[in-house]
Amino acid sequence: MINLKINGIDVSVDRGTTLLEAAQFLGLPISTLCHMEGLTPYGACRLCVVEVGDPPNSRLVTSCTYPAEEGLKVRTASARVLRARKMIVELLLASCPQSKTIQDIAAALNVRQQRFRQENEDCILCGRCVRMCAEQMVAGAIGFTGRGQDRSIGTPFDSNSEVCRLCGACMYVCPVCELRCTYNEPEKAICGGCANLAPPCVDKPQFDDMMCYMQPCVACEIKKD
Amino acid sequence: MRKLQSLDDLIGFRERVSAEKDLKTETPTLVVSAGTCGQASGANDIMRIIKRHILKENLGDKIELRITGCHGFCQVEPFILVEPQLHLYPQLKMEDVPRVIEAVLGGYVEEDLIYTEPQVGTKFHSQSDIPFFKKQTRTILGSNQMLDPIRIFNYFERDGYAALEKVLSKADPEWIIEEIKSSGLRGRGGAGFPAGRKWELARASGDDHQPKFVVCNCDEGDPGAYMDRSLLEGNPHSILEGMIIAGIAIGAAHGIIYVRGEYPLAIKHTMIALRQARELGLLGDDILGTGNDFEIEIVRGAGAFVCGEETALIRSVEGFMGEPKQRPPYPIERGIDGFPTCINNVETLANIRIIINSGAAEYAKVGVPGNTGTKIFSLVGKIRDTGLVEVPLGMTIGEVVHDIGGGPPGKARIKAVQTGGPSGGCIPAEHFDLPVDFDSLREAGSIMGSGGMIVMDEDTCMVDVAKYFMGFLKDESCGKCFTCRKGTQRMHEILEDITEGRGTLDQLTLLEELAVVVRDTSMCGLGQSAANPVLSTLRYFRNEYERHIVDKRCDAFVCKDLVGPPCQAACPVGTEAWRYVAHIARGEYEDAYRVIREANPFPSVCARACDHTCEQRCRAGTSGGDPIAIRALKRFITDRIEPSVYIPVRHEWQEGEPPKVAVVGAGPAGLTTAHFLSLEGYRVTVFEAEPEPGGMLFCAIPEYRLPRDVIKKEIDSLLDDNITVVCNTSLGDDITVDGLFDDGFSAVLLALGAHKSRPLGLDNEDVPGVYPSIEFLKAFNLKSEQLAKGRVGVIGGGNSAIDAARTALRQRDVESVTILYRRTRAEMPAFEEEVEAAIEEGVTIETLVSPTEIKTTSGLFSHLGCVRNSLGEPDSSGRRRPVRIEGSEHVIELDTLIVAISEDSGVDSITPARSGGIEVTDWNTVKADARTLLTSRSGVFAAGDVVTGPNTIIDAIADGKKAAVMIDHFVRGEELVQPVKSLMPTVHLDPVEVDPEEAPDDRVETPRASIEWRKRNFAEVEVGLSMQEATREARRCLRCDLEFVERTAPDVRAAGGHAE
Repeated sequence: MINLKINGIDVSVDRGTTLLEAAQFLGLPISTLCHMEGLTPYGACRLCVVEVGDPPNSRLVTSCTYPAEEGLKVRTASARVLRARKMIVELLLASCPQSKTIQDIAAALNVRQQRFRQENEDCILCGRCVRMCAEQMVAGAIGFTGRGQDRSIGTPFDSNSEVCRLCGACMYVCPVCELRCTYNEPEKAICGGCANLAPPCVDKPQFDDMMCYMQPCVACEIKKD
Repeated sequence: MRKLQSLDDLIGFRERVSAEKDLKTETPTLVVSAGTCGQASGANDIMRIIKRHILKENLGDKIELRITGCHGFCQVEPFILVEPQLHLYPQLKMEDVPRVIEAVLGGYVEEDLIYTEPQVGTKFHSQSDIPFFKKQTRTILGSNQMLDPIRIFNYFERDGYAALEKVLSKADPEWIIEEIKSSGLRGRGGAGFPAGRKWELARASGDDHQPKFVVCNCDEGDPGAYMDRSLLEGNPHSILEGMIIAGIAIGAAHGIIYVRGEYPLAIKHTMIALRQARELGLLGDDILGTGNDFEIEIVRGAGAFVCGEETALIRSVEGFMGEPKQRPPYPIERGIDGFPTCINNVETLANIRIIINSGAAEYAKVGVPGNTGTKIFSLVGKIRDTGLVEVPLGMTIGEVVHDIGGGPPGKARIKAVQTGGPSGGCIPAEHFDLPVDFDSLREAGSIMGSGGMIVMDEDTCMVDVAKYFMGFLKDESCGKCFTCRKGTQRMHEILEDITEGRGTLDQLTLLEELAVVVRDTSMCGLGQSAANPVLSTLRYFRNEYERHIVDKRCDAFVCKDLVGPPCQAACPVGTEAWRYVAHIARGEYEDAYRVIREANPFPSVCARACDHTCEQRCRAGTSGGDPIAIRALKRFITDRIEPSVYIPVRHEWQEGEPPKVAVVGAGPAGLTTAHFLSLEGYRVTVFEAEPEPGGMLFCAIPEYRLPRDVIKKEIDSLLDDNITVVCNTSLGDDITVDGLFDDGFSAVLLALGAHKSRPLGLDNEDVPGVYPSIEFLKAFNLKSEQLAKGRVGVIGGGNSAIDAARTALRQRDVESVTILYRRTRAEMPAFEEEVEAAIEEGVTIETLVSPTEIKTTSGLFSHLGCVRNSLGEPDSSGRRRPVRIEGSEHVIELDTLIVAISEDSGVDSITPARSGGIEVTDWNTVKADARTLLTSRSGVFAAGDVVTGPNTIIDAIADGKKAAVMIDHFVRGEELVQPVKSLMPTVHLDPVEVDPEEAPDDRVETPRASIEWRKRNFAEVEVGLSMQEATREARRCLRCDLEFVERTAPDVRAAGGHAE
């Protein structure tokens, strides 16, 4: 067992436990976005940062990837952590304001405005879909391409994938997808999470028979009306 | 080559190689630096010519040729270095090569071609005496010039693989680690982690059955940094030796050199070196029979900047997309394929053999405690000598920049140094005493990085620099972690807003907040340091950001959208120089006059005595050619067109009696204010202490530069019914500020000028024969008194010194005139053309000399005691400070001494006691708000030299214009500070079609009167241009305005080009 202190509370956890798991065990709220149980920790969204060590030599680390260490001092809601988290949420809101998940996180952190130029992106590149596809569905149909601002998610060479089973799990796990897939015109209905797959709902001639894992799939709702 | 079987074989082999080498030390050797930099500059041609010449003349046994990697002095490539004398022949042309060979054979020095220090002109016969090399400690880089990287024998001649030999004979890995630890070597890749500690961890990591890796990180992606490339190119065996030792120390059998694909020469040389080492048995299984296995392979990177980061590098080696992984686990525990991996920078590995060979204790003597050894920097940017420099850690930035780099290449002052590549920070010139080591740089908000040093001068905009680097990082961020990807994009977006004039102060706050969060929360080193360019420029250059945001100005003339046409932006009164030049090109001289006069009420005066910053910024000049002779063109117009052509727009005062405004001082500032207030309907009374209006125009500027009738005519054209000039009335004696308010003046402007020369602070300064320059000039200009006699000395280097010298030269009883200046001519603040004209007329300029004592003979000035100076460290103004040379005291015989070091305001007359409530500064100027010109007393404004100290005419006019606006706002009870106006052109003028064949590219010479004639009289020296000359010159204009006017007002263009 490993003993550490989180927000002043002593806690003992198994070796290999992450700080996020330890904090969740104590019931401490830490917002996460790219993290998902069942998928390997990725540390991309940086929302789950916590402060480790003693100031002034303390640093911020992502709790989802950081393994518990003997005697470590962790603070999950210090001023520095909150300042960072709020700024990250502001950045997220500026890019993907329509995501319900992000809106909820913003509300929980009391972030009520964002000060950047408003964008309307359909992907925050959290990589949930990529890991879902590779680790749980064992398909590996999608991955990252490009870097920096050109980074995106797609199939190899952006062509229709032969290994994709159109299972829709990628869309199911997407935190910004829900409201994005609200169109039923084929060219608009493409969700970034599975960018170059043929979305199942538009491939079918009859919308009544389609298979969609989105809950709720607004696209279908609209069509039905 | 026979494979070496044992350690003894290796020792024997080296002995044989060294013995052979000793036989041929006598032969002169031509060394050509042919690294990537050398080849790009033409070293291949030089080599070809040398080879052909040797073959043709059959010199094979008389001369040797060695082709090496980069020596570091990239500025002078391609060059030939002659051993053993170390003559350096820089920037050689192909046709000069035979002359060099002749000189080498003849045993003499070709003086025409040998290295000559730019600007100074000193010739250096030995490479080691050249300032660029003199202060360096070239333990690593120095061997590049001694060996051909593709010949392993060369490496053996220079103690090659001696360290490996020592390590193998000890057969104790712990000893190696101890040596490296006690040497204090820190990783040269940027973070500065102790190399010995890393090896110790790597040795302890993993179990015995696991393979381990040693990786040499040569993924050098920083713009402007190429020291790793030069090492791998110039001395690949030293890196291999370092890696083999590292492998033995940590128990690794696999080595990987990760090198960018963009370094083909480095890859080629490394591959050759690997083959040679394998053939000799220095790589492979069971090295020299000692039981150590080590093999090295090369992995080529595809050029992603982030792959320099160790976890991303590992992913890339593994064959995945190069993106970092959250640490821990560290590569030392789990690296390539999950096995312990020790990643060292090229330069770190190059240091290993030095440490082993010389011993840790000896190595640690170089540098400072905690930061031992040397570091290679690539010194680039606005500096005279660019290249790679190797200095002991702890040397100050100032020494690197000024002593090794030779300071700025031109007149612009060095402002800052950017260290550590794109994610480093900027360190301002005030902090150039900072030692370059890992810890000091981090404290100062920058990083060592891999050692890039980009020097920036006044023409570099720090906001633009931050934007450039942020743009680079935004593109090179791998995009995995959100704060780095989006944070750099957003920072770039805000910086773009600021440089394009849309920025707000709120955005600046946001930028800073964001930068701190990006630094705190990013996954890898790239993101964590990505905020440095922003944070360090904000820390040291916040004023530049604020100037961009609040005033919408870029003082470095870089941010195009704020600057507009540079000539207009450079003019303090915003004259649309491009516009009148265009009118001249089209032959519309009256229109040209109107354009000039609209902005500037003193066009004829400025056509003669302006310091023409417009020409300094003219793009025809800054882009490598000669600037347009804008002032001469202005003179051409003002000589031809009567002031009456311009009819200003007048406004009558609408409600009730027009308010009265008092202006004290009838110089350019005061008269400008009076004129513009009069146009708004004010009644202005101008009080002047002297018998005539004109201020400094009359008192200080000599007639040969500015004829009296020109001033009079210009002033007369400004005076009208609203303006009353009261002469012979001085503030304090005849009028007071309180009195003016009592007399019903609504506002008072103090525009008294600067009329007192600052004394030298020596004894006897008041004896007859010693005069302050202003007194001397005034006595002559106003009363025609000729005070100068015999041999005249003038102390100072400003315009006032030159004016005094040239006036003295024209006086009756003067034999000779000498200007004594404490710095060199390059630092003289006077206008270049004035200095030239003075020299032409026979004024002697003695530089690097300061007065120490004024000696008298029977009460009259007779001798001046002087001391010689040398130039030391730069002061706050960026100019190098004069330092006295002890024992250089000497005495100069003189009859008259004119002191022209600087001027004070005539502030005596407005001391708070007399006028009530107007604060003055310690420099005897009136304290006035820079934005509003308001003094500490409400209703009292101040403008011109009385605020700034001695300054140019055009600045005084600009102040006067501003004062008029401020006084108008004040009287009307409006907010003083108004939103800034854009500098963008609003008028489109069709350019004149010029046949490119006939288009002139050289600047018209300003005609001057002949020297012999002008020397003895006060007639004007400069003569106007002819119509032909003016048209030709005006047609040279690049018309920078067109770029902006088409963008801002397409409808104006459609309307046929005339907006008015």
